[in-house]
Amino acid sequence: MKKQRKLNGGAKMGFLFALPAAIYMMVFIGYPMIQNLILSFKNVDVYSFAQPDNQVFVGLQNYIELFTSGNSILTKSIANTLIFTVGSIFFQFIIGFALALLFNKKFAGCSFFRGMTMISWLLPVTVAGLLFKFMFASSGGIINQFLVSLHIIDQPMEWLLHPKSAMVAIIVANIWIGIPFNMMLLITGLTTIPAEVYESCSLDGANKIQTLVMVTIPMIKPAIMSVLTLGFVYTFKVFDLVWVMTKGGPINSTELVSTYAYRLSFEEFQFSKGAAAANILFLILLVVGVFYIKLINEEEEIM
Amino acid sequence: MGKKQKKGQIGAFICGFIIFVIFIFPLYWMVVTALKTQVEIFEIPTPLWPRNLSLDAFKAQLSASSDTLRGFKNSAIIAVGATIISTVLSIPASYGLARFRFRAKKVMILFFLITQMLPSTLVLTSLYIMFSKVGLLNTYWAPILADATLGIPFSIIILRTYFLSIPKELDEAANIDGCGYWKSFFLIMLPIAKPGVVVAAVFSFVYAWGDLIYGITFITNPNMRPITSSIYNYVQQYQTLWNSTMAFGIIAISPVVLIFIFMQRYIVSGLTNGAVKA
Repeated sequence: MKKQRKLNGGAKMGFLFALPAAIYMMVFIGYPMIQNLILSFKNVDVYSFAQPDNQVFVGLQNYIELFTSGNSILTKSIANTLIFTVGSIFFQFIIGFALALLFNKKFAGCSFFRGMTMISWLLPVTVAGLLFKFMFASSGGIINQFLVSLHIIDQPMEWLLHPKSAMVAIIVANIWIGIPFNMMLLITGLTTIPAEVYESCSLDGANKIQTLVMVTIPMIKPAIMSVLTLGFVYTFKVFDLVWVMTKGGPINSTELVSTYAYRLSFEEFQFSKGAAAANILFLILLVVGVFYIKLINEEEEIM
Repeated sequence: MGKKQKKGQIGAFICGFIIFVIFIFPLYWMVVTALKTQVEIFEIPTPLWPRNLSLDAFKAQLSASSDTLRGFKNSAIIAVGATIISTVLSIPASYGLARFRFRAKKVMILFFLITQMLPSTLVLTSLYIMFSKVGLLNTYWAPILADATLGIPFSIIILRTYFLSIPKELDEAANIDGCGYWKSFFLIMLPIAKPGVVVAAVFSFVYAWGDLIYGITFITNPNMRPITSSIYNYVQQYQTLWNSTMAFGIIAISPVVLIFIFMQRYIVSGLTNGAVKA
């Protein structure tokens, strides 16, 4: 590596350039995070919110109550979030990978088709959620009509009103939103493979599936790992989509940790409990996030 | 060989076309529904194309008394405000983190990387309490300040990649020529980094425009709600008025769709740079 020339006063300048953004993020993210941690050890709710004198430290009580209260919604929401995340990522990744392989070829209309599929990722999730809510509706919903005409179901069903099918519906909507993200990152990975590699494969008589498994996948492993870990983090914290489509219902069957934390704080006004639930979400993400940062650090020596 | 290749081309084109149709269908459905009458929407089977095109839903949404235009205006103020804060802070930060060596650099990069992955719910309650203490609830400032935190980490990550790709000799030459750090930053680096700045600003805008959670939490005054929050409230009220809801939705996504159409190339590069290269 080329030795970086130290210019006079350079270190100080670099720090000064970066400082304002760092301070901003400390004030609006760092400080609230610490406050959130403190809040989760207190007893702030709708009654004590306006009276700081009545706010006392209660230790781990909020966490314990969240986990042990009869029929713990938190435990259920963690399980739901896992189902939602794994279900979403599994299909997003497989479909995204298939599309990446397709769009990595050059053919007429390729870049147009590829570009247009990107749009689902950029749309405000609120609108995408409402759109899918409508498409899954029992009366007037196109998905029911489609399934009935194919004789897969006998009559329109209330997708969002049954626990299991509601989960399926939010996963389907999230897959639509997430496929472009998977596709684009994997295409970037695929473009790093030199054409000669494929040529020598076909000379060696390897068929397409052998090439895919033995050559392509190992070569883009870094991209695959990035997609999976980042996808996990982004999916695990999804809020808007579920809040708009089901609000966590019916009977908490699509309650995610994020929607539950929100409900605790802003519908039941149990601010401390909401803070505790949000911290649990953070803790799970932190584990995966550290894994991701290690990954890119090894890969590119970014720092 | 040539024939086989051509066959493969046609096959790929057909696959690509089918995928495009399936993918774009939800958006098509949104437009078609907005142009239908309520009667047609609930017909069994519902027609795939409206028999009598009706612009009533759009007219109703665009009338002066509706929430739509007000929401649009509010969102524009909030998203532009957040974009300005995010871009103005990110440009020097990414430059500093790309060009200089200093002790806190590693920690800072790590900090920005982590903030990009945080769930909004984690800071939401504390921000709410903080904003209520200083009287910022139900002002545009609350969502502006919060939405900027969505754009900053992403902007820094992509802009830093951008600055790293500019040859170092360029600003060294400027330094030798007697330009100070500030001068060489503004006169030399910034113009070159313009495409990167555009990507960063676009993403900050799209993030802020799409935000729901900060909007519904910090602003309860119906007159000041951003458009995502007002469409959410609209649906709570008019459950099955789907043509109006979809017309509302189309208006809500229109800036993003326009940005997408005109800046697709930038967006693709931004997404891949920001996410993979970090």
